[in-house]
Amino acid sequence: MAKSILVVEDEPNIVLSLQFLMKKAGFDVRVARDGDEALAAVQSQAPDLILLDVMIPKRDGYDVCQTIRANPDWGGIYIIMLTAKGREVDREKGIALGANDYVTKPFSTRDLTDKVKQILENSTH
Amino acid sequence: MMAMTPRSFLVTCFVTLGLVALAAVGAGLWLIGSRLPEGISTEVRDIVLVYGGGIAFLLVAVIAVMWAYLDNAIAQPLAALVKGIQTVVLARSDYRIEIEEMHQLDGLPAAVNELIRQLGIARTGIHEAIEKATASLEQQKTQLETVLLDLHEGVVVATLDHRILLYNNRAVQLLRIGGDIGLDRSLFHFFSPHPIVHALSRLTTRFTQGRLDSPLGGPTVSFVGTTTDGRHTLQGRMSLILEGEQTASGYVLSFEDKTAELAALGLRDRLLRESTEGLRAPMGNLRAAAEILVGDSDLGAAEQESFKKVLLQESQFLCGRLEKLSAQYRDVITGHWPMSDIYSGNLLQNLADRLREQHGIEATIIGLPHWLHGDSYSLIELLARLIVLLRERFALTVFDLETVPTERWVNLDVIWQGSVLPAAELDLWLVEPQEGVLGGLSLREIVERHKTDVWSLPDRSGRARLRLPLPLPVQRVSGQVRSSMPPRPEFYDFELLRRPVELGDRATRTLKSLTYVVFDTETTGLNPSGGDEIVSIAGVRIVNGRILTGESFERIVNPRRHIPVESVRFHGITDEMVKDKPPIAVVLPQFHAFVADAVLVAHNAAFDLRFLQLHEAASGVNFDMPVLDTMLLSCFLHDYTSRHNLDEVAKRFGVPVQGRHTAFGDALVTAGCFLRMLDVLEAQAVLTLEQALAVSAKVMQLKTRQANF
Repeated sequence: MAKSILVVEDEPNIVLSLQFLMKKAGFDVRVARDGDEALAAVQSQAPDLILLDVMIPKRDGYDVCQTIRANPDWGGIYIIMLTAKGREVDREKGIALGANDYVTKPFSTRDLTDKVKQILENSTH
Repeated sequence: MMAMTPRSFLVTCFVTLGLVALAAVGAGLWLIGSRLPEGISTEVRDIVLVYGGGIAFLLVAVIAVMWAYLDNAIAQPLAALVKGIQTVVLARSDYRIEIEEMHQLDGLPAAVNELIRQLGIARTGIHEAIEKATASLEQQKTQLETVLLDLHEGVVVATLDHRILLYNNRAVQLLRIGGDIGLDRSLFHFFSPHPIVHALSRLTTRFTQGRLDSPLGGPTVSFVGTTTDGRHTLQGRMSLILEGEQTASGYVLSFEDKTAELAALGLRDRLLRESTEGLRAPMGNLRAAAEILVGDSDLGAAEQESFKKVLLQESQFLCGRLEKLSAQYRDVITGHWPMSDIYSGNLLQNLADRLREQHGIEATIIGLPHWLHGDSYSLIELLARLIVLLRERFALTVFDLETVPTERWVNLDVIWQGSVLPAAELDLWLVEPQEGVLGGLSLREIVERHKTDVWSLPDRSGRARLRLPLPLPVQRVSGQVRSSMPPRPEFYDFELLRRPVELGDRATRTLKSLTYVVFDTETTGLNPSGGDEIVSIAGVRIVNGRILTGESFERIVNPRRHIPVESVRFHGITDEMVKDKPPIAVVLPQFHAFVADAVLVAHNAAFDLRFLQLHEAASGVNFDMPVLDTMLLSCFLHDYTSRHNLDEVAKRFGVPVQGRHTAFGDALVTAGCFLRMLDVLEAQAVLTLEQALAVSAKVMQLKTRQANF
């Protein structure tokens, strides 16, 4: 069964690219456009990996991340935060609130795709 | 004519009187003798002569007695009065004139003495008034000096021809002068002249036209100038010193160094320009290529390929450029807010005091204090408000406060027993405008001004933290050793540590659950049995694995002997500093009470314990509690090295060293090391006090054996 990815992002232009790249890499992709939608999507079916933008409507990315980490059932979900906040302290906050990785915009799509592939191929489930 | 004293006048009068009497008697005798008839017997002549001589003698005697009486009763007392008055006048003494009882001067001596008494009172009054005035002048002068010293700005007072009359230390620093400015030198040795001359002429024009008080003028003008070498930009204000209404006698300059700030502003301007103008060209290229690719359907394959390449190249270039600009921007440390290096110990103490007094919240400062960079006023506002909100949210009144340094910043943590605060809730707290002192600023704005963020995370021990990372201090605060004094010798006399100690139930309790007092002493030298004494002693308590900085003991002790210069260089405590301090016999019982039933911890404990032990009898207390030595524990944990002095151990355990070679500073560093050792000991299955003492004993044995060889 294909690994599943949840893209949480409200900017349609980058959603377009991410969705295209991840599908092409052979993953099952779903998209959520705000924090509430993201949690609902995780609730209905937990993905293997989440590409999580920090600045999204309703609940922000930090909040979504913290909420997911509060539930032990979702401990295996790999969370990569995507954000325009580039300070060291923002990265620290993301990691502190439960993100596994932190990527600042603008990022290289090739690097991101490689990273996601590597993580999901190495994961055991 | 020579003035005569009353006495010599009297003598002259009476001698004259005596001479006149004798002359009268002589003349009488001669008359009688010449009128006596011839032939009178020589017997009669003799009788006349004898009577005459007797009368003369009597007369002279009576005159002499009268003179003696007058001399004693009037002339001598008068002379004494004169001398006495001269004494009082010249010597300004409270002299009371003593006159023989039998004088005939009536009330004169008493009246003179009364005059002298009144004069004395008047003199004392004048003296006191002068002293008071001098003291108040002195006080005003001191106050003025203090104000000048404390001023963040440089201040120079100069005459109208620019000669320096007065300056403060800050001025010396800002003008980069190594040494004294030198009074009466020209200001233009240090300041470039033109801005000063210009500012002064503006002020004098205002003064002569009477505009100093009017809204068209005003009493001060601002100026921007440079140091004479042109390397530092100084910005400040000038005002005139007026003497009365008519004349100006000089001026006051107050100034700050704006060099760094202007440089930062310049950098910010440049970045702003580069991020707008500098990005226009690549953006233009990108747009053109995209429009052609989308709008032109009859592009050949090769052309399409080259436009695609433009898209890729330009977007990659833009990304790289952006990274560079934002990295540079992060280094711009302008701030319209006053930021300075602050010591977290003071910051958190202020915060804790405020929380206790205004909100009934018990905040305990734990861990080691550190330096950080920020605005202490707004940080206290921010933290106090957040903690009050946390209290309402979690129904708690007890918090811990801790500063934890990392490589890039210092984390300021608020710790509580309970769950983590959700990010969404914290965000709501941050954006709400705050009433009162902050002038409607939100907490978020305070956080942003410190270029940071705040979040909540779980603690290792199942508690929760609110974490606020703050910038590192700008000027690295060094805890450098003041001198190159050799470190204390390791003491191989471990008898003290071997004293039998009743451990009770502490023997089997885990090391982390015990209460410790980590202490250190500073001494006059290294030889306790050779007469060296303690000059300061300090301790800090560890409870449940937390260093309670707020619960500490710190005393300077009078060693009742001279403190040698070599040791003063080491700890900075001088004879002058200890002269009003209590002796060890007073301090030791206080320290004993502070320790209570805690376990004692010290680095090279045998050394400090020896000093304590020597005074046990005199102070009536016994330090018979269990003792752990971080030096021995370090030997046990890191047996591959022979370097176990406190600096090395602190470095090995990553404990920042601050305030070394004060008893308190060293106790704090030792406490930091000890806490980290507890974790490592745990990993090596040394879990209880009994076990820790046992491994220490083993190290002691080994060391003693080595020392005996």
